[in-house]
Amino acid sequence: MADPAKPLDGIRVLAQGIVWAGPFSTMILADLGAEVIEIESIQHLNPTRTNFRHIPDALLEGRAGASYLNRDGSEGFWNRQAWFNYAKRGCKSVTLDLQSERGHELFLDLIRQSDAYIENNAADVVDNLGIGYEVLHEVNPELIMVRFPGFGIEGPYSDFKGYGANMEAVAGHTGIRGYEGSDPSDTPASLHGDPTAGAQVAFALQAALFSRDRTGEGQLVEISQVESVASHIGHAFMDYAMNGRVQGHWGNRHPSMAPYGAFPCAGEDRWITIAIPSDEAFAALCAEMGRPELAGDERFADAAVRYRNTDAINAEVAAWTPAFEDHDLMVRLQAAGVPAIATVHHEEITTNPHHVARGYFEEITHPEAGTHLYPGPMARFERTPLLPARPAPTLGRHNEEILRGVLGVSAEAYQQLLDDEVIGSVYLEDATA
Amino acid sequence: MTGPLEGVRVLDLTQGVTGPYATKLFSDYGAEVTKIERPGRGDASRRLGPYPNDMPHIETSGMFLHLNTGKLSVTLDLGTATGRELLLRLAADADIIVESFRPGTLERLGIGPDVLAEASPAAALVRISSFGQEGPYRDFEADDMLLYASGGVMQVTGDPDREPIKLGLYTPLFLAGVVSAGMMMGAMRSSMRDGEGERVEISINEILTASMDRGGPNIMAYQYSGALMIERIKNVVYSGLPSGVYPCADGYVQVATQPAWFPRMCRAMGREDLIEDERFVANVYNPDFLPEVEAIFYPWLLSHTKQEVMELAQAEGWPVCAINTVEDAYRDPAYRARDFFRTIDHPVAGSYEYVGLPVRFKSTPGEMRCAPLLGEHTFEVLTERLGHTPEEVAILGQRGVI
Repeated sequence: MADPAKPLDGIRVLAQGIVWAGPFSTMILADLGAEVIEIESIQHLNPTRTNFRHIPDALLEGRAGASYLNRDGSEGFWNRQAWFNYAKRGCKSVTLDLQSERGHELFLDLIRQSDAYIENNAADVVDNLGIGYEVLHEVNPELIMVRFPGFGIEGPYSDFKGYGANMEAVAGHTGIRGYEGSDPSDTPASLHGDPTAGAQVAFALQAALFSRDRTGEGQLVEISQVESVASHIGHAFMDYAMNGRVQGHWGNRHPSMAPYGAFPCAGEDRWITIAIPSDEAFAALCAEMGRPELAGDERFADAAVRYRNTDAINAEVAAWTPAFEDHDLMVRLQAAGVPAIATVHHEEITTNPHHVARGYFEEITHPEAGTHLYPGPMARFERTPLLPARPAPTLGRHNEEILRGVLGVSAEAYQQLLDDEVIGSVYLEDATA
Repeated sequence: MTGPLEGVRVLDLTQGVTGPYATKLFSDYGAEVTKIERPGRGDASRRLGPYPNDMPHIETSGMFLHLNTGKLSVTLDLGTATGRELLLRLAADADIIVESFRPGTLERLGIGPDVLAEASPAAALVRISSFGQEGPYRDFEADDMLLYASGGVMQVTGDPDREPIKLGLYTPLFLAGVVSAGMMMGAMRSSMRDGEGERVEISINEILTASMDRGGPNIMAYQYSGALMIERIKNVVYSGLPSGVYPCADGYVQVATQPAWFPRMCRAMGREDLIEDERFVANVYNPDFLPEVEAIFYPWLLSHTKQEVMELAQAEGWPVCAINTVEDAYRDPAYRARDFFRTIDHPVAGSYEYVGLPVRFKSTPGEMRCAPLLGEHTFEVLTERLGHTPEEVAILGQRGVI
């Protein structure tokens, strides 16, 4: 029996979704069953695969090099990249030189047969390529186009360039995270904006599809990553609107809980996070610590004084935790009614007992990268399961299937496209980022 | 203004941040979201603040007002048989039922998935929880920081010589809310298509494992090469050009410079004379040369405001941005030009500017409306949708059901 239809079966999405916001959006859509076709080219490097035609040794040996299979930079390395192969699972890859007349025509032919086109190129790219919304709408009035460059497509900053860190800075997020009492130069580098915008795209595209199915009309949808992030710190904006208060760096502090924070455990770089929401949980923690008298200490007797004396009570906890192994302590504290979680190390996450029991990681075999355990879909659909996923595509892997099969390009014309380097499966020697 | 989800009905049994943010997106974009709250106490976010003048009040929590724009509030005591019966009747014409109680709560109340499915066979049922409905951590308690820890985010964030650190307050719960909204759309689509309700289970822990900034890629990099691509690190200098956080006259800027962008940097600083300077050109990849470049960069930075630095740099295509406080962001010219903030007048809290809509549907924009008072729509929903008389509603009130 055929697998039951997934939610987005029959929906075709063309994508130029790059860096992390883009791949995150296409991962969700492909997991939900959409036919996502990544439009790449052999003239321009897909930055999710690589920024270099030949990887410099220094880069291969450094942190970024860790994402390439066995740090192997030999030809075809762009098909063996962990980042791309994770986030583009289930997607297809077609290469088209959009700056050539034939490539441009084929793209428009594909637009005619697609439900959506999503892209987070720099804001001026699609107009420069002659594939702006007006052009595409003319070709296919039912098309939904989702554009999500960092600063949006309108307004004073729409030409601005930036990575996630730049957008978070403008949005106001950088100003309220980071260690307490620090300047932002200590602000850690893990970011919120990219996955946020990517997830918004997956929601927005489906909402626009719902509307199109009723009205028969497509539309342009715009997402600014900066505004997406701002929406997620709305409470801080409300504090300013209501009280004129400008929140600073919170660090691991909570607005009302104490003790609260990350505390050291036995071993190197082992930590447990603890959050105490109530007097009951505090009493339980004190009992586990063998220090029941702390619950009655006048410095810690209720939530307000405890919060005022956060440093003192945190110091008591931090003096106690190093005697314990992080996972054991988590299980023990949770059993006692104390919210506590050990920080999870990415090196060990595939053997985390909870993930293993839930079967969260999914084995996928990629034709050039081999078999690995990938994080699974972010939801379990009981009636129309999202598994199994197909591996991520190698560059141009689906040229024939899509161009010949969907667009009906003849064998001769297909060969001509190859000969003219409109399509291909290996980056040209002079391919640029 | 009409939103793309006009006509969709959501029965919302969520609390806190994640579920309510997901249903806020539905509400702002046109769906009718009926929020079930506990009589007297309401949603937990009514106690999260911030409050005007820091005065706690069940109707004025900024977090609640932000998360619940445009929803209908109906109070129901699900601990009573009558409350549950009213809930099942409301479920009957819902397209999506979404809940975020602790795992097992619905079952214990006698309104588990099978009971809901019987009352509403075509509705999608989406269940959101910290660790999912099954597995050894199912009953673990967690908040936003603890979920950062379990998702692997915290371990790779911060200074290697200090404790791991979370990102912004509550932000992982918002991210999980957006992902959940996308999954709710998928569940609604297949339920409507097949005429049979889909059941979806969501674990915030799994969302963070897969999603937080390059976390998934980091897990895969370790399997691909035996090393992580992201760890807690000190500022690492990859080239002889500035990247990272730099001070300026009135604050800080976030700088990103690729070696090929040295000419952009020179033009932004008005130092075209350096573009061809061989000493610099030969060293754009050399980390040891950074102090020489900074010797030129710092004086220029310190003589300009962060907004000026950003505008001068961006005019040359150099990705430099002001690090804004929330106050700066409120006044930011781009937010203003894009008409991002929305003024909403609330009958108890007063009139404030709210953060606006994160998605702009050009043909069906949707709109943000005021968040509801606790139980504001109970009477209307029970009389108009369920056909009760005003007298009956009064009796339910006296019995404490609503």
